[in-house]
Amino acid sequence: MPIRGLKGGVLKFLKGEDLDSIHYGTLEVLSEVGIKMEYKPALEIFRSFGAEVDFANSVVKIDEHLLKKALSTAPSRFTLHGKNENFDVKVDPERVYTIGGSSALNVLDLEGNYRPAVFDDLIKFTILLDKLEHLHIMHAIVIPSDLEEYGVDRMLFAGTFPYTTRNYYSQSQTGADGVQDQIKMAAVVQGSEDAVRKNPMFTEVVCMVSPLQHEKINSEVLVEAAKNNIPVYVEVDAMLGGTTPAPIAGTLVEQNANVLAGIVLAQLVNPGTPCIYSIASGLMDMTTGSYAGAAPETNLLHCATAQVAHYYNLPFQGGTGIDAKIPDAQAGYERAMQVLSNALAGTNFIHLSFGMMEMMLTACYEQCVIDNEIMGAAFRMLKGIEVNDDTLSVNLLRKVGPKSAHFLTFKETSEYVRKNNWVPQITNREIWSAWKAAGGKSMRDSAVDIARKILSENTEPAISKEQTEEILKMAKSFHAKAVQKLKNESV
Amino acid sequence: MSAEEIKKQLYENILSGDFELTGGIAVKAVEENMDPLIIINETLVPAIELVGEKFSKKEYFLPDLMRSASAMKNAIEIFEKEIKTKGIERKTMGKVIIGTVKGDIHEIGKSIVSSLLTAKGFKVVDLGVDVDSETFIKNVINEKADILGMSALLPITMPYQGKVIEDLKLKNLRNKVKVMVGGSPVTQEHADRIGADGYADNAVSAVKLAEKLMQE
Repeated sequence: MPIRGLKGGVLKFLKGEDLDSIHYGTLEVLSEVGIKMEYKPALEIFRSFGAEVDFANSVVKIDEHLLKKALSTAPSRFTLHGKNENFDVKVDPERVYTIGGSSALNVLDLEGNYRPAVFDDLIKFTILLDKLEHLHIMHAIVIPSDLEEYGVDRMLFAGTFPYTTRNYYSQSQTGADGVQDQIKMAAVVQGSEDAVRKNPMFTEVVCMVSPLQHEKINSEVLVEAAKNNIPVYVEVDAMLGGTTPAPIAGTLVEQNANVLAGIVLAQLVNPGTPCIYSIASGLMDMTTGSYAGAAPETNLLHCATAQVAHYYNLPFQGGTGIDAKIPDAQAGYERAMQVLSNALAGTNFIHLSFGMMEMMLTACYEQCVIDNEIMGAAFRMLKGIEVNDDTLSVNLLRKVGPKSAHFLTFKETSEYVRKNNWVPQITNREIWSAWKAAGGKSMRDSAVDIARKILSENTEPAISKEQTEEILKMAKSFHAKAVQKLKNESV
Repeated sequence: MSAEEIKKQLYENILSGDFELTGGIAVKAVEENMDPLIIINETLVPAIELVGEKFSKKEYFLPDLMRSASAMKNAIEIFEKEIKTKGIERKTMGKVIIGTVKGDIHEIGKSIVSSLLTAKGFKVVDLGVDVDSETFIKNVINEKADILGMSALLPITMPYQGKVIEDLKLKNLRNKVKVMVGGSPVTQEHADRIGADGYADNAVSAVKLAEKLMQE
């Protein structure tokens, strides 16, 4: 059976009239200010649908009519396919899922070393993450330093896709050719390219630039993904006060105009293309200029953006990395506040929510295990409180009556607890002496043990060895081709 | 406006970051035949140094610093023109050509570095974003730059920093200019690999790096 996430949305920072105001502000920006699109075919597509296009300045203006028309074909529900049906994710604007970390350059390894990531880390992280209960979508968590950067997405595919049962969140760094290469690699598992296009086991992400710009390569990827029915995360990565206005409301307007313009383009290219309204925005720390993914202001923004995306009946990806350097108290509080607030706000994909530290620069093995624990606690809260005759337990109270008694022997207790209570894995609730007797381990130590155990017991890919090797061979060849292409383009 | 009043206003407007005003006040100073070198050294530099100090103490935030740097820049441009017509030389900390590399339109990091360098007393030529190798090199030659700073925010545009360095070598310019690189995905390893002279992971350390490179 496919995975059906818990429903979020109880936490709302914006009122209905706030959402209307953000919508009207967005309409004004889209129709009067416009979006700069560097990819000329995108300008032509907009022109063919009657949008006002300034080719000299590459600016597209989208009026309300075109916006509504295009958004009307954007699906509110669809399926993201895993390697088998048990890992299919049923997406809609209510259910909450998680996505792993992405694109860290460094790792904090299980020996406590901080060092540049290598290809072997990518495989190990993927194997580790794949065994964590609360992870639903797999990303390539590191960009290995032992590979040429250009076109590295092909190698990320080979280091991640074969090792995960989950739907794979991919990216193409070079344009349409990357999407095509990835379709070919997925076809090794799915049987044919047509099978990939029908039920793709991977998605693409495109990143828009704030303020109000669509860079060329990302637009090309968006169009290619839409043509091939590959679901797309249309993402903007705003920095409040830096690349977007400092007020959260102003950033909501900028993000909305930027993301919706991308979703409109996908719908014009291929109506019905599954699009996920996405952000990885963060506060700009005004004392350093750094990206502060775990700032309370960032959490507020993400929760509010969930409401904005849902206003258009679109699934929403929010969440981002945390800022702590090691799995310490800062890491714990940052991740917990972020995950809990996003889950309650109904962020449909809590993105980068495993292992990502140091403002997206570092992936930490044991933090993945800790994050899985935090996620478990957050999901228990998301599940909420069931109120009905059984849970009100008036009959039980009548049965027991006003006297010295306890509830431990009741079947109702046993059943309720089994069904509802969250059982922690590495959260310690022992008294001091018992904890000490068991080794007196910190949560980080316990997480290291679990990560080591998982990695010692699991080394195999999620698909056959032959398929894994075939994909790696293809990836190496595609990567080399991309690198060569870049060299040929050089002056 | 008296000479004293002009100096006071320049100082205060740099501190408050009212950059719309400083150019006009500088023009008045020139009209009053005030010595541009003395104003720069005794008014503008102490003002911007105080701003830098306040920023490091977290009394000023980044927007304050950026506005003050703009205020400084608007005044200094007027004075520099005057210095040039008088045929005198102003000693700067050094000349820096800066830009985000081709294929990359991320603006903000490079602009912060640019402002901070200006505030520190460097002469900065900011070429903007999506800058190709030819433009970088042309400006390095024309401006007789001491330092070339290149920003890249995307893993796919990082290699272009290396390409510009290779092109500098082809033109026999590599030993004429120091090259520093930055941008969120850029690392020291990358900087070493492409043969840059330095890497900084944030704007404040970029300024320190530029100072260090000038001493080499």
